[in-house]
Amino acid sequence: MRRERGATRPQGLQTVNLSWPMLSRIVAAVLGGYAFTYAFTAALARLLPLQPADALIVATVLSFAVYTGAILWAFACRSATRAWAGLALGVPLALIGFWPQLLERLG
Amino acid sequence: MKQKTITQSLSWLHTWSGLLFGWVLFAIFLTGTLAVFDKEIDNWLRPEIPAHSLDSREAAQTALDYLQARHPHARTWNIGLPNERAPTLSVSTGEQRRGGGQALDPETGELLQVRETAGGGFFFRFHFTLNLPRLLGIWVVGLAAMAMLAALVSGIVIHKKFFKEFFTFRPAKGQRSWLDAHNATGVLVLPFHLMITYTGLVIFYLIYMPAASDALFGGDREALNRALRGMPEQHAGQGRQPPQEVAGPAPLTALPPLLAEAERVLGPLASLSIHNPGRGDARIEVRPLLGNRIELTKGQSMVFDGVTGKVLRAPAESRPSLLTQRVLAGMHFAQFGGYPMRWLYFVCGLASCAMIATGLVLFTVKRRRRHDGEGALGAALYTGAERINVSVVAGLALACVGLLWANRLLPFELAQRGGWEVRVFFLIWLATLLHACLRPWLRAWQEQLGLTAALCLGLPLLNVVTVNRGDYIPLEVTILVIGGLLAACAWKIGQPAPERALRVRTEVN
Amino acid sequence: MGLAIATGLWLAYSGMIALCLGLERHYKQVWGRPPSSSRRRALRATGWLALAASFAASVAAWGWAMGPIGGLGLVSLAGLALVLVLPYQPRLAIGTAVAGWPVLALATLAG
Repeated sequence: MRRERGATRPQGLQTVNLSWPMLSRIVAAVLGGYAFTYAFTAALARLLPLQPADALIVATVLSFAVYTGAILWAFACRSATRAWAGLALGVPLALIGFWPQLLERLG
Repeated sequence: MKQKTITQSLSWLHTWSGLLFGWVLFAIFLTGTLAVFDKEIDNWLRPEIPAHSLDSREAAQTALDYLQARHPHARTWNIGLPNERAPTLSVSTGEQRRGGGQALDPETGELLQVRETAGGGFFFRFHFTLNLPRLLGIWVVGLAAMAMLAALVSGIVIHKKFFKEFFTFRPAKGQRSWLDAHNATGVLVLPFHLMITYTGLVIFYLIYMPAASDALFGGDREALNRALRGMPEQHAGQGRQPPQEVAGPAPLTALPPLLAEAERVLGPLASLSIHNPGRGDARIEVRPLLGNRIELTKGQSMVFDGVTGKVLRAPAESRPSLLTQRVLAGMHFAQFGGYPMRWLYFVCGLASCAMIATGLVLFTVKRRRRHDGEGALGAALYTGAERINVSVVAGLALACVGLLWANRLLPFELAQRGGWEVRVFFLIWLATLLHACLRPWLRAWQEQLGLTAALCLGLPLLNVVTVNRGDYIPLEVTILVIGGLLAACAWKIGQPAPERALRVRTEVN
Repeated sequence: MGLAIATGLWLAYSGMIALCLGLERHYKQVWGRPPSSSRRRALRATGWLALAASFAASVAAWGWAMGPIGGLGLVSLAGLALVLVLPYQPRLAIGTAVAGWPVLALATLAG
């Protein structure tokens, strides 16, 4: 284990390695992940074939697992760009979740 | 190569979210673990309240007699009932719904002079607000809980091979041992870590994630609450609002049969409120003790007509989805299953604390002999992390037991005594940070753990010397055991220094 | 209830020990020689059976709703205790499990 570390210093062991891609990933995980989860939860609550109150509870209780998944996704995928691309799926989800409000807004 | 990058970047996530949030998480978990026994600690903090053998019905009658004699014109009487865990019988008037109030002697029905104290509730409140303004605190703790979830899951991914080394712990081998201990406490108690973190988030689920409520109810909490209760109008008109015409005088119904009926439906009772006592429209609201089932029944109650004693509103059964949420929240509160379950949560909570603490120490041990190459910033960071670790782990424990000492040592009549106890808590905590910065690293650990151990071991003695009353054997035995363990830690840190240095050197080569 | 929980805890601890000894490294650590493969399989089977029985005891003590939570907790703590004692006193760790059963039986008879 020790040998490996000497050869290819893993990122975790360096301090000042807060490169732009890493910073981008952090923002993607914390803020992007929350926005994605918000959209996902809204869409799920809208789509679940349950009464509104039940759908709301189920979707909201599950949301923390979704957020965890989003955070891990932001760090596990190959590049920061990909991380953002994945989280951008939140946009159509938000459209599903909030379409009545959107229609109202549009006219 | 690709695989490796994923592991690397998840390990980066684990390390840094673990470190930055580990400090606040340790504080949350330690106070949460103490909060498992909040009532028992509270009893210790209020030694003036005598133990008694009255059941809740007799105690309620005592309180009612007092209120009728002293506050005949109050609009609302509130009575907090004693129970298995706490002998306190309290009364208050007005809209105060929960907690507070003045303690009565259940035997004589007289007011008790009880010291003002932050109480066992301090640890409970600190656990979910960190003593910050409530909403801010809830958000900070929620963020830390998310970091914990992310660290747990990323930890599972990066440590996955340790499931094979399930039972492995190699003590006295420096970094290796810290890693083993971190893994053992993490992996073996993993179901508890995941459960307690997730259910903690579920308690305030609508605060943290209002998306669905925004989408389906336009953020209208009133509409949402009505939908959740499944009874649109009924609730709005009940209880809180004052009636239109003032009803004439009428005697209050007898309490004992009414309480017996409530107990039959709800299980052990926590408190009751009597609205408009002595009038025709009197209402008696009875609330159950949490913990008759897993479901968190907070806010549930049963309403009786105060004159006829008839049931006006039975407790609503939760709909399945709401029941799910309440069961999850209840799993966090651990008010069910009696004392065995409480002990299980306490020890599992300590294991969580140990996992976080060993993780924090591991971070610095891993880098201790390597930060020369990292430049001044790196060195400063690691030194800082080492110091903060001491203060967060040992210092917080010292502050907690320090609060108990302050409870006995502060003058009885001190104004805002409870506030002073909290101030002592934070001053001690701050002092431990200064101490950790000034002293050599290992000495700081040793001295703070040693002092904590001494305060724990001396606590029963302090009680005898200062108030000499109360029967706290379970609590005192527990704290003696904890003190003994901490003393052993402090002693161990002082012991094999030369051997340790040698080992570190051979490991490096 | 107390007795059922104590039984559950002891089953959990014994089960964890059997599972632990079912791993070659720990069998060697305790007995100084590797286990035969049939013994290893027997130990593992016993371990899982004991854990299942421990779960059943928890359910008996707390009921179906609370039992699983308590059961998982008992297994976790039993495993943790084992891991902490094993490197210092491997024989003691196993002796405790064995010695616990007569004590438990006596308690059952007395209670």
